[in-house]
Amino acid sequence: MQQNELDRQLSRIQDKLTGIDRKAANRVFLPCEAENVYEVCRFLFSELGLRFVISTGIDATGYFEVLHHFSNDESGCVVTVKVFICNRESPELDSITPLIPGAEWIEREMHDLLGITFRHHPNLQRLILADDWPEGVYPLRKEVQA
Amino acid sequence: MIDALQNLSWILIFPGFVFTLAVGLLASWLVRKVSAIVQYRVGPPIYQPAVDVMKLMGKEILVPQEAQRTVFILAPLAGLSGVLLLSTMLWLATARITYVGDIVVAMYLMILPSLALILGSSASGSPHAAVGASREMKLVLSYELPLVLALLVVIIKTAGLVAPGEQLSLAAISQHAPVLSISGFLAFVVALLCVQAKLGFVPFDIAESETEVAGGVMIEYSGALLAVWKLMQAMMLVALPLFLVLVFLGGIDLSGWWLLWGIGKYVLVLVLVILIKNTNPRVRIDQAMRFFWFYCGTMLAAAVILAMIGNYYGIAWL
Amino acid sequence: MDNGLLIIEEEARTALPIVNHQSSIINRLQLWSLKKSIWVFHVNTGACNNCDIEIVNLLTPKFDVERFGIKLVGSPRHADALLVTGVGTRQAAKRLQEVYRQTAKPCVVFCMGACACGTGIFEGAYHVAGPVDNIIRQVDPNAIIAYVPGCPPKPQAMIMGVVKTLSTLQPKEKYATERVGQTVVADPG
Repeated sequence: MQQNELDRQLSRIQDKLTGIDRKAANRVFLPCEAENVYEVCRFLFSELGLRFVISTGIDATGYFEVLHHFSNDESGCVVTVKVFICNRESPELDSITPLIPGAEWIEREMHDLLGITFRHHPNLQRLILADDWPEGVYPLRKEVQA
Repeated sequence: MIDALQNLSWILIFPGFVFTLAVGLLASWLVRKVSAIVQYRVGPPIYQPAVDVMKLMGKEILVPQEAQRTVFILAPLAGLSGVLLLSTMLWLATARITYVGDIVVAMYLMILPSLALILGSSASGSPHAAVGASREMKLVLSYELPLVLALLVVIIKTAGLVAPGEQLSLAAISQHAPVLSISGFLAFVVALLCVQAKLGFVPFDIAESETEVAGGVMIEYSGALLAVWKLMQAMMLVALPLFLVLVFLGGIDLSGWWLLWGIGKYVLVLVLVILIKNTNPRVRIDQAMRFFWFYCGTMLAAAVILAMIGNYYGIAWL
Repeated sequence: MDNGLLIIEEEARTALPIVNHQSSIINRLQLWSLKKSIWVFHVNTGACNNCDIEIVNLLTPKFDVERFGIKLVGSPRHADALLVTGVGTRQAAKRLQEVYRQTAKPCVVFCMGACACGTGIFEGAYHVAGPVDNIIRQVDPNAIIAYVPGCPPKPQAMIMGVVKTLSTLQPKEKYATERVGQTVVADPG
């Protein structure tokens, strides 16, 4: 859909978000609460028909950030859902894999490297770390030395 | 006693082991050089196949733990001895020192290298080798029947021309050139493709496909045993085109200038094999089976009928 | 093309392979035949694939390495040289050692690319189990290892590396009496 159409549609879920951030003409950030992430992603994927690109996990010292990127291929706009997880000891988030099967592996990778547990994930096993890597050591966390 | 010594020298030196080996390494170099020329590059030097074998003799032999040791070590030797006997017999047939029925013995001996390959790879204890063995088995099942039918066409064609009682003798058959008739030409084309498959060349190198099964049948062989496999393949390059020349193209006449013509025929068959090798992709095993049984089979059925009609009515070019 | 060749010579001269050969090559004939016919097997231990692409480029008809006797084989048991790319990751380290043990000796290990020579840009990362030569030396302290740096090394540099390495290999009896070029000759034992 075109850009102005996209803007109109995004205002429909405004109540689930904590804001709509337009960093650039083709870059929209949608920060939201952790419990709303599945609803927002369902709206973007199923109702608007955006394409799921990839997810990002960030260790921002005090908290974790998880970003889900969706692309509106017609206008070239990338819409990113931004979630903050404040629990540093055992971070948890709802998985979007039941909705988008293509998200299975990137969530496994985030779990391997950052230790974020995704609830209702069908297969949350080790993906990219070596077989003999110790459990419970998440290499991309700030406190882990190389 | 003298007879036994003479036979032994035939098998071991000329035209047996040493001679076939030398010609085989030369033929192997020719294959690589012609392939290089077709691909617009310089190929390996003339001593390359010999150096390959020499280098392999100097490396250690690794036997996998789960391999069946006896069969693993004896299979390459069995294949080599099969090709050796075949080559000796074919050269003796060229010199007309042979017996009636040798074409049947040649058919049997030709299967030995493939059988040895299957046995050796099955004894390797590796799943890749098992896949290679099963593919080789299916390939052998595919091309053996068309090969026998092609020979049948030749035997029918030459039946009226040779003395009665000598129909199955290579020395007699090789005095005629069945390729100059329609059925003979069809049979020659099919037999050429069967020889291509037997030599393990593209498009039928399914068993030893490098990129698919990591070397397939020979994956676990190394050192001197691998050298024996390479020797076997080099000697097959001598025996099989020579068989085609004897059966279809009128043999090699060993007297005077006709010898050069005969060698030219052998080189022609070899170059045909190389050109087919360089201009085709590899086929899958099911495609190969369909090709040999369905297409080659139909072509050969037509060739057999044409040959029989030609024989009955005395038409030589049918 | 002449200009290009001169520049390649310069590049390759500054990237001389360093060969450490406490080798087990027995006699001159064996060594000569090994030099004339070297079959390579390609191992990727966690590379970004740049070096792998250059290796595959190397084996195409354009560079025609078959005239040196170099051939790509599908099984390490047939190989004389292992072309190893990539920093040795933890996951790949054991597998690389297994492949090395399965390669019929005598064999040469070529570390292709900056990552294989000495971890490259992945220095100190969590998944690195050491550069490739450390991994190989754990299994065989007497391994013959050659380094071809570059990111990725040009195919011409790889050919030069292979040819230079082969020309510096010496049979065993020469070790006690000669130092060969820039090589480090340890106690032949």
